Amino acid sequence: MTPTPAPRAWIRPCTRIWLLLVLLSVVTFVVGELGATGLAPSLLVLGFAMLKGQLIGDFYMGLRWVSGLWRWAVVIWLLVPGGLITTAFVMAARGTA
Amino acid sequence: MQYKSQAVAKPYFIAAIGLFVGQILFGLILGLQYVWGDFMFPEIPFNVARMVHTNLLIVWLLFGFMGAAYYLVPEESERELYAPWLAHAMFWIFLVAGALTILGYLMVPYAKLAEMTHNELLPTMGREFLEQPTITKLGIVVVALAFLFNVGMTVLKGRKTVVTLVLLLGLAGLAVLFLFSFYNPDNVVKDKYYWWWVVHLWVEGVWELILGSILAFVLIKTTGVDREVIEKWLYVIIAMTLITGIIGTGHHYYWIGTPEYWQWWGSIFSALEPIPFFMMTVFAFNMVNRRRRNHPNKAAVLWALGTAVMAFLGAGVWGFLHTLSPVNYYTHGTQITAAHGHMAFYGAYVMINLTMISYAMPMLRGRTAANSERSQVLEMWSFWLMTVSIVFITLFLTGAGILQVWLQRFSENPQGFMVVQEKIALFYWLREIAGVVFLIGLGTYVASFFVGAKEPEALPEGAAASA
Amino acid sequence: MSQTVVIAPAPGRYPPGDLAIWIFILAELLVFAVFFAAYAFARAGDVALFDEYQHTLDRRAALVNTLALITSSYFVVRATAAIREGSARDCARWLAGAIGLGALFLVVKSLEYAHHLEAGVHLGTNTFYMFYLSLTFFHFMHVLMGMVILGAVALKARRGGYSATEHTGVETGGVYWHMVDLVWLILFPLVYVMR
Repeated sequence: MTPTPAPRAWIRPCTRIWLLLVLLSVVTFVVGELGATGLAPSLLVLGFAMLKGQLIGDFYMGLRWVSGLWRWAVVIWLLVPGGLITTAFVMAARGTA
Repeated sequence: MQYKSQAVAKPYFIAAIGLFVGQILFGLILGLQYVWGDFMFPEIPFNVARMVHTNLLIVWLLFGFMGAAYYLVPEESERELYAPWLAHAMFWIFLVAGALTILGYLMVPYAKLAEMTHNELLPTMGREFLEQPTITKLGIVVVALAFLFNVGMTVLKGRKTVVTLVLLLGLAGLAVLFLFSFYNPDNVVKDKYYWWWVVHLWVEGVWELILGSILAFVLIKTTGVDREVIEKWLYVIIAMTLITGIIGTGHHYYWIGTPEYWQWWGSIFSALEPIPFFMMTVFAFNMVNRRRRNHPNKAAVLWALGTAVMAFLGAGVWGFLHTLSPVNYYTHGTQITAAHGHMAFYGAYVMINLTMISYAMPMLRGRTAANSERSQVLEMWSFWLMTVSIVFITLFLTGAGILQVWLQRFSENPQGFMVVQEKIALFYWLREIAGVVFLIGLGTYVASFFVGAKEPEALPEGAAASA
Repeated sequence: MSQTVVIAPAPGRYPPGDLAIWIFILAELLVFAVFFAAYAFARAGDVALFDEYQHTLDRRAALVNTLALITSSYFVVRATAAIREGSARDCARWLAGAIGLGALFLVVKSLEYAHHLEAGVHLGTNTFYMFYLSLTFFHFMHVLMGMVILGAVALKARRGGYSATEHTGVETGGVYWHMVDLVWLILFPLVYVMR
């Protein structure tokens, strides 16, 4: 619609998101390869996963540009299994299960 | 009524209501036998009364589904039924076969019935809900095939809608899964395993598709909301029904000798079975709120909304109560199951049938859209009487069940079955009273077909002034 | 206006795509959430068993699959952007790429299954394998379903069924595919890495 389109960015925002997703996945893989065990590395990669999920929800599924409750649909969803998984892993680490 | 052949639905609906009355009468006999053990013994022992109560339910629901299909398929397909004569013939075959079977249950001992019908040639008798003699089962297959052929041809030759396609899928599934009633392996585990393919996959699978499509049809007709919107909901609901319901069969495989993974599969997927029912509730209320017109048949709209709510409560919530395997370990086969069974069957399948009958019967009896005001008021009274009393039956049975689980299974010193039955007798008495109220409600329902029959049709809300 | 216009629709009350697919997505996400939580709590009950058998999984295959799904999701975003710019052909091409990556996912996953089957692993072997096989297979079926949806959308796009102004179908298929990706993003660390 705009008569004079702005010059294209050298990289599309969605491509930037893609690179970030790839990077976080590779880091997750490396954490696994290093054989890091215990609560800290586990929760770290879970945090990465939630961040990735939030990027997908916001930018790829387009919730960033939605107002109201729908805007938070994926974020809220991530918090549910994220919270439960965290609880279970903390319980396992403390041996309280 | 837009097509002449829709009229074949009428005898099906009448038979359904007649058998419904029979089912409730036997229900009351059963309820009394819980607290007065030898009531009507030896003429009608408990096991026979139970068989009649459950079999009548299934048969009348099937009559209702068939009537519903014969009514809505021509209208959706925009053409006459493929073979109305076949529908008439099948009606009489099914009715006579059903009546003979019930008489067989009542007149001769079950073992004698098995002998008379040559069960030994292809043994299929003796299993809960599938007690019918083999010959009756074969009759059911013939009727189902003829029915499917008739309805299927009508759909194929006419307009295809999502409503008819979902209905057809449900009806075909119903027929195919019934074939497992002929598979009767000696291995008790396998026997139960496949028995559930009929029982569970009917009520928590394909019947839900039938329910969804009938509900969608009535909502399209009564609210005037765009078909496209309603069809989208229907898709989402049936997809969730199938995802959760099929693997949810696992909640019957906890304690029958099946592999352990069913504990997880059954628990996880069946725990989510309330989702499609919840969606159905939201869907029905949403559509009625977005209605483009006020339909003069207020009773039908009330039944439709009632179905959505009660199906969610009975099938969804009361099912969830005892679906997780650690809970089911204690509640299995107690009055909790009976509580769930009563509300789920009433809320989902009885009410969807009554919704359809309420919507279609006025037209089948020559009205243009609805019964008279007086008739509808009486029908709505019957709605509340039956619905409230089923809620109380469910609550009393739940109370009985909780106490039973506690005394018989959970406490430090578990007591014997009969000792506990004595202790929960009060709940059974209360349940019987609620049952009597249900019968009164049913009587009111039947009366609503005759009261105000000669009075003028009700007008839609807001139209009275201009009339 | 900057490039963001391409991926950003006008702010609205409802997310892109048909609202019905979002209802379905929420229901599906709930199923997966319950499954994930069940895995985590079952693991807490027997940490040693879960840790031991997690070693038998092929983390490299899982990484390849993660990258395949992420990239396919990216392709779907590009497909949506293409149709918003009015290019149905590009849209169909990007979608075909996404479907191809979905197929790659299925192949890699099938090879993993073949490996486990050869080792005699089945649902009843132990609780870890029960969860591993059920969770990943349930997700596998969703990838398959997503590919069917994307396939239908791609065909319609190629036939010119969408335009710069009317392309809800592309967005609808797209968000479903992103959901399939989203679920895997949790599944990957949970089953293959965390211990």
